[in-house]
Amino acid sequence: MIGGGIVLTVIAVLLVAGGTRFLQTKGWSAPIPRPDGGYLSGGETDTEHAEKQSGLLRWLTTVDHKDIGILYLVFGTVAALWGGTEAMMIRTELLTPTADVWTAATYNGLFTTHGITMLFFFVTPVFFGIANYFLPLLLNADDMAFPRINAIAFWMLPPSLLLARAGLPADALGKLLSTVGVKIPFLEALHPPETGWTLYAPLSIQSGNPQVDLLLLGLHLSGIATTLGAINFIITIVSERGENIGWMDVDIFSWTMLSTSGIILFAFPLLGSAVIMMLLDRNLGTTFYLVEGGGPILWQHLFWFFGHPEVYIIFLPATGLVSFILPKFSSRKLFGFKFIVYSTLAIGVLSFGVWAHHMFTTGIDPRIRMSFMFVSLAIAVPSAVKVFNWISTMYDGRIRLTAPMIFAVGSIGTFIIGGVTGVFLAAIPIDLVVHDTYFVVGHFHFILMAIIPMMMFAASYYWYPIITGRMYDQLLARLQAVLTIIGVPITFGSMLIMGALGLPRRYANYPDQFALLQQIASVGAFIIGIGVLLWLWNMVQSYRVGPRVRDADVWNLKRDDAFTREWQWFEEKLADRYGTDGGDPDDD
Amino acid sequence: MHRALRAVTGGLVGTVVLSGFLLVLDTQARGTLSVAAVVGRFLGIDGRPLIAIALFAIVTVVLWPALFVAVEGYLPFGPDPATRAVAFAAVIGIVFVVVGRGSITGPILVIYVGFSVLAHLAYGFAFGSIYGRLAG
Ligand code: HEM
Ligand SMILES: [Cu+2]
Repeated sequence: MIGGGIVLTVIAVLLVAGGTRFLQTKGWSAPIPRPDGGYLSGGETDTEHAEKQSGLLRWLTTVDHKDIGILYLVFGTVAALWGGTEAMMIRTELLTPTADVWTAATYNGLFTTHGITMLFFFVTPVFFGIANYFLPLLLNADDMAFPRINAIAFWMLPPSLLLARAGLPADALGKLLSTVGVKIPFLEALHPPETGWTLYAPLSIQSGNPQVDLLLLGLHLSGIATTLGAINFIITIVSERGENIGWMDVDIFSWTMLSTSGIILFAFPLLGSAVIMMLLDRNLGTTFYLVEGGGPILWQHLFWFFGHPEVYIIFLPATGLVSFILPKFSSRKLFGFKFIVYSTLAIGVLSFGVWAHHMFTTGIDPRIRMSFMFVSLAIAVPSAVKVFNWISTMYDGRIRLTAPMIFAVGSIGTFIIGGVTGVFLAAIPIDLVVHDTYFVVGHFHFILMAIIPMMMFAASYYWYPIITGRMYDQLLARLQAVLTIIGVPITFGSMLIMGALGLPRRYANYPDQFALLQQIASVGAFIIGIGVLLWLWNMVQSYRVGPRVRDADVWNLKRDDAFTREWQWFEEKLADRYGTDGGDPDDD
Repeated sequence: MHRALRAVTGGLVGTVVLSGFLLVLDTQARGTLSVAAVVGRFLGIDGRPLIAIALFAIVTVVLWPALFVAVEGYLPFGPDPATRAVAFAAVIGIVFVVVGRGSITGPILVIYVGFSVLAHLAYGFAFGSIYGRLAG
């Protein structure tokens, strides 16, 4: 029937409206909490912002570390939602043993772009965002060492994301244009690469898809951006610290950012060069990664010489956040601060000595292989030191299960599984059996979808009042934390089992006997996804109508003498805004 | 700003958001479902995708906001217009999914339902927050 949907909608809306009215007459009300008297945020709330450009121009021209931090956070969130959509699609495809939702080729494209988006455009930008906002505050620095380079480093990211992911926007644009009758063949030639995020030769060189070239350029550009950011962090931490901040006063999060930035400095330029060689192989007939030249294994060596440090680049800031946040809600000082710093630095160095554990099955010399096994086992030690110290920090402490704390504790638990399965994989005899199975996917997701995003969520909840001046719905936040912590073992525990049973990774279809485990994994993934939506809602809605924070000691940190510098800065800001007596705001 | 004008401005922004989501659904689905066809089924004019999309845009820019303004006071989760509009849009989204479904079955249904409802929730939030904000 013409207009059938519209008529039905109108009826449904009227029913809901009438039903609500009816319930209200029976005494039901569902008002949202508005302790500040129903104020809806409108524009700037921050007095210091008055000096800056307003509106869009402000965000395009800013060199303030806090603004750039927020830009990074928004960018990283967008990338995460994009990559997350692909994760949900992957899990949808795997609900049935046959590739009946999308073709196998599309599936290959999905896991490739999912991995690249998450690793390069989600994790590093978000941690850079957090660090951009808070390192200068924690270090009592005026700003980052090079504010303009800071802005440049950020603004290189959107174009590199667009290059790397041109397939989808091109497709969408092509669709839009074709509905109005315009056809641009180049837009249709761009398909998502189907090489896996590791871009192994020879597949990546033989692929005729021009999108692979754009992806390589995008990765190169993002590498430059990341390196610039890392240099900025290093200089800021080394030479921009405030007068009263000696090396002994540097907080644990800054230490991990220092290590991470150091690793970036050595790892990313290498990726950049390796990627350029691949570009040349593809387009100019060089033979770096061809059998006649350096050979496909050369790519694996170069890629993993970058790739393994990369996993620590994205992992260390998360550990820094655990070390930073966990003591605040245990009413204890971080146990063995020095040893955590040493273990962080040790990981930074050792991370360059383990790359060939990704190549145990390529037939490399068994003696070389063995040495890589030992270093890989050794690198688990500093990680274990951290875990031990975190648990000791909580031991006998006064634990307060706020949302950030639930995430921190959940991170420790899931990281133990991720770390121990890593040690399994580092043992050659085991790796020969489970290499390239779901066991590996389970292993790294117990870190990549656990401590890393969990500590980002924790940080967003912990520092939300500082960034927005408002408080969020804490119950919803705790619910999200619990959902995530339940969802992760369901999803990735199933993968560990499937891998141990021998199911290879990266296939759109699989034998029937794995259907149940795959479906369980998908359900877990949807639980995590729902949690993410709750988080997004909480962040956005609380920014609009969350109760305003008047007392800077949101977490009762003064009691434990843990009211760190970023909160002191916040307290001054609040005093400026509301007057020291906590009276009504004079602006707004 | 006049209430009607606020509503239409909100509807415009909401429609941009909604189209973004639906466009992503269409491209991500890679040919397994067509949003234009879904919209066509929703409006009851199957087989003329271009007209369906144009009509749908008018509906989301003008008609839904008008309906919202008419029933705003009766909707749950007030007084914030944004939360109210999210509830309002959830209803639209559900009807949209049911009426527009056609012969979509199997696992793709999960993506179709999830994305379409999400798109409408985002539409409601964008519409409602703009509508509320312009009230000054
Ligand atoms: C306790 C320390 C760790 C050890 C001993 C370890 C060991 C390993 C080994 C041996 C592999 C190769 C498995 C194979 O392909 O057959 C592997 C893969 C992987 N690990 Fe770990 N790992 C550790 C920690 C981490 C951390 C902290 C992360 C991430 C932040 C991580 C992320 C990854 C990723 C992404 C892969 C798979 C790469 C791919 O093939 O696509 N690992 N790990
Ligand atoms: Cu590794």
